[in-house]
Amino acid sequence: MKHTLSILLQNESGALLRVAGLFAARHVNIDALTVAVTHDPGVSQLTLVLHGDAGVLEQILRQLRKLVDVLDASSLSLVGSGERSRLVATSA
Amino acid sequence: MTLSQATAAVTAAPPVLHPCAGQSMTGAEIVVQVLADEGCRVLFGYSGGAILPVYDAVFRYNERHRTADGREPMPLIVPANEQGAGFMAAGHARATGDVGVAVVTSGPGATNLVTPIRDAMADSIPLVAICGQVPTALLGSDAFQEAPVAGIMGACAKHVFLVTEPTQLEATLRSAFEIARSGRPGPVVVDIPKNVQNAGLVFDGACRLPLPGYRARLRAIEQAHLDDAACNELLRALAQARRPLIYAGGGVIAAGAAAALATFVDTFGVPVTTTLMGLGGFDTTHPLALHLLGMHGTAHANYAVEDCDFLLALGARFDDRVAGVPAQFAPRARFIAQIDIDPAEIGKVKRVDWHHAGPLAPALERLVAHGRARGLRPQLAPWHAHIAALKRRHALDWDRASAAIQPQAVIEAINRITRGEAIISTGVGQHQMWAAQYFDFRRPRHWLTSGSMGTMGFGLPAAIGAQLARPDALVIDIDGDGSIRMNLGELETVTTYDLPIKIVVLNNRGDGMVRQWQRLFFAGRFAATDKNLHRKDFVRAAQADGFEWARRLEDKAALDATIEAFLAHPGPAFLEVMIDPEAGVYPMVGPGANYAQMVTGPFIAARSATPVSEAEVPATAMF
Repeated sequence: MKHTLSILLQNESGALLRVAGLFAARHVNIDALTVAVTHDPGVSQLTLVLHGDAGVLEQILRQLRKLVDVLDASSLSLVGSGERSRLVATSA
Repeated sequence: MTLSQATAAVTAAPPVLHPCAGQSMTGAEIVVQVLADEGCRVLFGYSGGAILPVYDAVFRYNERHRTADGREPMPLIVPANEQGAGFMAAGHARATGDVGVAVVTSGPGATNLVTPIRDAMADSIPLVAICGQVPTALLGSDAFQEAPVAGIMGACAKHVFLVTEPTQLEATLRSAFEIARSGRPGPVVVDIPKNVQNAGLVFDGACRLPLPGYRARLRAIEQAHLDDAACNELLRALAQARRPLIYAGGGVIAAGAAAALATFVDTFGVPVTTTLMGLGGFDTTHPLALHLLGMHGTAHANYAVEDCDFLLALGARFDDRVAGVPAQFAPRARFIAQIDIDPAEIGKVKRVDWHHAGPLAPALERLVAHGRARGLRPQLAPWHAHIAALKRRHALDWDRASAAIQPQAVIEAINRITRGEAIISTGVGQHQMWAAQYFDFRRPRHWLTSGSMGTMGFGLPAAIGAQLARPDALVIDIDGDGSIRMNLGELETVTTYDLPIKIVVLNNRGDGMVRQWQRLFFAGRFAATDKNLHRKDFVRAAQADGFEWARRLEDKAALDATIEAFLAHPGPAFLEVMIDPEAGVYPMVGPGANYAQMVTGPFIAARSATPVSEAEVPATAMF
């Protein structure tokens, strides 16, 4: 199943590598990844798509939350439909 | 204020101003002052171009702060290889619970440290490793002795910092110690370019990085307390259990929860089995102690896991050496509970019915208080009788009649003298398992072994670090001929610093554990593990490195007297024991097998073993 993650990351040297490296080390493929700096230049927003069952999603989120640079990591779900649809963070 | 601005200088109001606050210092001097402030009493490391300013600052610090009896307050112990420095720091940390510190140069100095850093990560050992780095202007230029340490170590460590902004150095280093020792401990690497070490700075004395994400999560975990409902649920399940069992891991030791565990056991009468990392977390001579479980666990511990109807995992993570087949682990347990400081370990391998992610000691104390207040006293006499019978019927044993020296006899002879009070380090392989099985472990931090990574060569440098941490303790390295070769250069380090370490090499002329697997699963083809043609004379090697007491034991009749003389020698001592090369480690839960299929070998009584069914994965594919 496809999951979309939202990750807030401190802009430290090597921080993106540590996130990408975590997925590689845990054998979880990243299907899509965008990175953009937020209004705070010290913080980046990552949006990341992966495939996996609920166990894979839960484990990767918990492992992400152990990375020192990670401010927040959550799974997004599409709520609503059509023009009114939006992505919201879920508690997984 | 943005986060990046906050990072520049977050100074928590210090209760007392640091005596050096406001002083001008170089980056290197700041490094040494923070190490001193963090309680570091010994450094391990090998010099080199990119770390010279820090080494010079250590030299000057030690000159300026000599103790009344002329000793250096922060001696720098020099190994033969940086891997040795890393394992010495780890041995120091494992024997004390304090953060171990290694300081190495850039490039090869740092890459030689990769193995101990990963080893510390895998066993949750707090380390801070300081690596010199080429000047920031040369980063990424393929400079001499440049390596991408942040990338390499980022994949192995709990965290890695590359300090490119000199004003961040002090806060970064202090935060590195905080990260290493907090939550689930682990190694933190701080990569410091040479120009940052030479920068002129002003010492603050208290600054830290804000680390907002890490600190917020840590606070939540540290403040996670068991409420009445959670206590009720767990204790209700315990009250209904007839055969409850505690499965205690290294987390008991890391959390300093051994006393709380002992009280829990005294209160509720629940027997305890410990993992390899948990040995010493519960006194193995206690009547309710079942000693080691798992692939080479005692038969009585593994049978108790088979029989239990309630399992409480404490600081343990159901890894593949314990739960090779997670679905068949503790198959009769109707209730499995888990307490761990790391939320990612809850239910990672095995689904649990109850869990608590938080500090272990307060959780156990809360459960004891809650149970006592409600008069919970499980009636477990039949289960205790069953446990006692298991321990009697399925006790560890070996080939006592053999003319060849059996390795178990060597461990037992040492244990008869040391009685669980010595600090034992090991390499990895058969000798490690025999040591784990046949020594008594009375208290935490007396057992130093590379559990998760299984790094051969760990034992000798770890013993050096432990002896420096505990100068008055008897420190014994139980090693194998294969393992000790990996860091044999550190024999000289033992005599250079005149450390009274006792080194035992159980020599079976090869890589015994791998041979055991080749015998069982590869039709006895000993590819690359038979070392009968090796010409090494270990005793002469030890003598060449300055060991005055170095002997080889080949006569079974001389075993007790030799070991007595060996342990009684006041200085460094080296004993090579030529053991039966055919000796195997039993019991063994084979790869892909469950505990009911455990093979107990020729000398330990087995219950009727369930034959190993046609495995989906052949044993040759397992590890």
